Amino acid sequence: MLVFLARRLAFFVMALITSSILIFALIRLAGGNVASVMLGKAAKPEAIAALSKELGLDRPLPVQYFDWAWGMLRGDLGISFRTREPATSLLLERLPVSVPLALAGMILALLIAVPVGTYAATKVGTPIGAFVAFTSQVGIAIPVFWAGVLLSLFFGVRLGWLPTGGWVPWSASPIDSIRSLALPVIALGLVMAATLSRYTRTAVLDVMNEDYVRTARASGMTKRGALLRVGVRNASLPLVTVVGLLAAELIGGTVIIEQVFSLPGLARMVLDQVQAREVIVVQSTVMIMVAFVLVVNLIVDILYGVLDPRVRVSR
Amino acid sequence: MTTQTVLDVRGLVVRRDDLKAVRNVDFQIRAGQRVGLVGESGAGKSLTALAVMGLLQPGWTTEGQVLHDNVDLTTISDREFSNRRGRTVSMVFQDPLSALNPTKRVGAQVSWVIRRHTKVTRDEARARVLDLFKQMHLPRPEQLLRAYPHELSGGQRQRVMIAMAIACYPQLIIADEPTTALDVTVQKQVLRLLDGAVKDRGSALLMITHDLPVIAAMCDYVMVMYGGRLVEQGPVGEVFRSPRHPYTKGLLESQPTLDNIELEGTTRLPSIRGSVPPLHAMPTGCPFRTRCDRATAQCEIVPELEGDTSQAACWHPLDAHSPVVGA
Amino acid sequence: MSSAAEGAMTSHELASGGGPVPTGGVGRRVLGNASLVVGVVMTVALVAVAALSLVWTPADPNLAAPADRLLPAGSHGHLLGTDALGRDIASALMVGARTSITVAAGAALLGVVLGTISGLTAAAARPVVSESIMRGVDILLAMPGIVFALVLAATVGAGVGSTIFALTVFFVPSFTRVVRAAALRVLAEDYVTAAELYGRRKVFILARHVLPNIFSVLIVQFTLYFAAGILTEAGLSYLGVGVNRPAVSWGMLLKEAQDTVGVSGPLAIWPGLAIVFAVLGLNMLGDGLRDVLDPRLRKRSS
Repeated sequence: MLVFLARRLAFFVMALITSSILIFALIRLAGGNVASVMLGKAAKPEAIAALSKELGLDRPLPVQYFDWAWGMLRGDLGISFRTREPATSLLLERLPVSVPLALAGMILALLIAVPVGTYAATKVGTPIGAFVAFTSQVGIAIPVFWAGVLLSLFFGVRLGWLPTGGWVPWSASPIDSIRSLALPVIALGLVMAATLSRYTRTAVLDVMNEDYVRTARASGMTKRGALLRVGVRNASLPLVTVVGLLAAELIGGTVIIEQVFSLPGLARMVLDQVQAREVIVVQSTVMIMVAFVLVVNLIVDILYGVLDPRVRVSR
Repeated sequence: MTTQTVLDVRGLVVRRDDLKAVRNVDFQIRAGQRVGLVGESGAGKSLTALAVMGLLQPGWTTEGQVLHDNVDLTTISDREFSNRRGRTVSMVFQDPLSALNPTKRVGAQVSWVIRRHTKVTRDEARARVLDLFKQMHLPRPEQLLRAYPHELSGGQRQRVMIAMAIACYPQLIIADEPTTALDVTVQKQVLRLLDGAVKDRGSALLMITHDLPVIAAMCDYVMVMYGGRLVEQGPVGEVFRSPRHPYTKGLLESQPTLDNIELEGTTRLPSIRGSVPPLHAMPTGCPFRTRCDRATAQCEIVPELEGDTSQAACWHPLDAHSPVVGA
Repeated sequence: MSSAAEGAMTSHELASGGGPVPTGGVGRRVLGNASLVVGVVMTVALVAVAALSLVWTPADPNLAAPADRLLPAGSHGHLLGTDALGRDIASALMVGARTSITVAAGAALLGVVLGTISGLTAAAARPVVSESIMRGVDILLAMPGIVFALVLAATVGAGVGSTIFALTVFFVPSFTRVVRAAALRVLAEDYVTAAELYGRRKVFILARHVLPNIFSVLIVQFTLYFAAGILTEAGLSYLGVGVNRPAVSWGMLLKEAQDTVGVSGPLAIWPGLAIVFAVLGLNMLGDGLRDVLDPRLRKRSS
């Protein structure tokens, strides 16, 4: 188990380093001179040189990289060159919106997908099974922002139950904060649940075809018992992996859904910075998002090791 | 010894849509009896066993009666049936690696069966599992309780499977090719342990295999299956010494023994002409007639099992003293 | 590397010429497969609309006509009405179909080609090479596609080109995984081992045995990623970091609708329906193709 943990940790660190180099290089390669990108095409050479000097962009690339990476490790994401605000505090302001949204969306997706997918697995070949399969097929085809639009049309505009956008800070009124998160969470959760329920169905079906399920029934488990105690439990192994892979999709969905409901989360911050060509801050924020996905994957790997005794030895 | 019947199968049919894989099979097993069920793959042996256990895959349906302990197992609910599986009737499967749950410790898997069917504490169940492991001559039984299936050898896994099957002293144990997936060197050991465990408990045994020597060593009664039908049955000695169905004879003759491998290497192993037809191409009447040298027009009508101590379903049975080549 | 390049060329030829398909019963399975039939019909309709938009649209989707702003559906000359600037919605949807196909199919095709190269290399190369490719894939999979597009938008700017590029980078790692897994299955077959023992070169084995056998996998994956590409492109354009005017995209139309008249206008409904139609059709086509081309998976997905 210790060897397994060490290996996963080593991969995590390697992935963190590689992806940071990748992001750093990509921005230099795709954009060329960072300072001129930031100031726009019309900028005077003197202004570009001044900004380069101020941000340290005139130093050799490895020095710039290590400077940036070291800053990230200390929690310094750089400074917005227009507003002179530290990006870290900008980011921290946004997390109370984005983190609950993403987490609640994922949890809602799991709460819907696991029972629905398991149920669909027991109904393969029946009209109900076909209906559930088709419904999730349609669900997968719905873009998350359109789901958000439809939900706010119905619950916000038509019924007037929930706000169609905007944000009330937690400190002002937690209940109103939850109300403003409700529709975004539902939109995100429903769309992710469609994908996840298909994976669940396949995973449960695969497990239920295993010989050891038959053994479990031969030793006295009822059909239902075998489905819940063996089927769902062992299907959770592939599902944990899928949840890890969906972490990247979750970030994308959160970014889009924040835009739909005009929530002042990470997405708005990144989009504003993209518009303002705050290259360094974009670079840092993007790195934070990638790091989040990597952390989720590390947790997933460790969880997998805990759940599946075979992994601990074989990997 | 009592002669009470523990399993009475009447007119069993197993089918998937229009395809009948098991066609009208009748047999009885008495308490403590050891019955072998032989045949090539696809003959319907495993489906018969799974039908008795009520564990057929979805899509398969059964007809007929499976009487056990005065109830017809085909009519009871899944819950009632689950109260019996592992307690009064249990099963040992072919591949012990895929048949054990890879994510649960083997000790827990065996103790689950005990706790499912008897009111014992966790510790008592653990003690009984330990006893079972010792009976199965598993090395370092204490540590093995906490092992996962992948940490065991094939023979050890199958001994764990047998421990699960015998844990609740069942009236009947069904063993479906219990040694086929094992190395030749451990097959004998596992069979001996199964033999001893069945004997100790006075359980009846239904042994499914295509390995005739295993039947000869383990069983006192044998049923030969072909094309979903029983074509011959009787005491092992009688059937093996003087088979009356041409298929049984062919099966016995195609077993390699030291005698029929001559050193010059000129003799080839006798084999049965053709191969088992797929289900949808199974001939009407006697299923074996398309591969049988003795077949006539009469064989288009299904023959009944006939005879005294041993019975064959054949219109043209072999002489009682027709010698078996090489057996 | 030469082996991989050859592999890619062959896959390209196959993609245009139609590769070997398992014989026997394909015709019957096609007709019996509702998902495939519906998927084909929907996809053909989508492509037909996009093709038609090349030669004819009811109006110029970029032509503003302030007098005709926000006309309802069914107005004269405007089947689905007009937007806040008086532009024809039906025309915009037709041109949007073209954009969706160009971007998504382009990225999926690039992804297939590059993913086949790296996947085959990973399957056949020495362990060191193969291991580094797969670890690289693992790392790239952690990069959210949208995030990647954001970086591009911040540096080189948004547009059709950078959207295709972002999607391709997003697709290649997954394709690599799928191709490698499929190729490893084929490489484990006895006849391939026999060919190896016979002294055939790796390149020959990959081109002669592996590619034809993973062709059906490639077709299915292409279809499914085509669909995923449409969804992602729509998302990017909705955020304003994908396709921009004068090009027209369904995601962009939704954003415009929301910015100008809010969610309640019909303009917020049509592009969404178009996206669902296109993605659903392609996904059903992909699932149906998988059932028909890869009978091993049939039981699971039926």
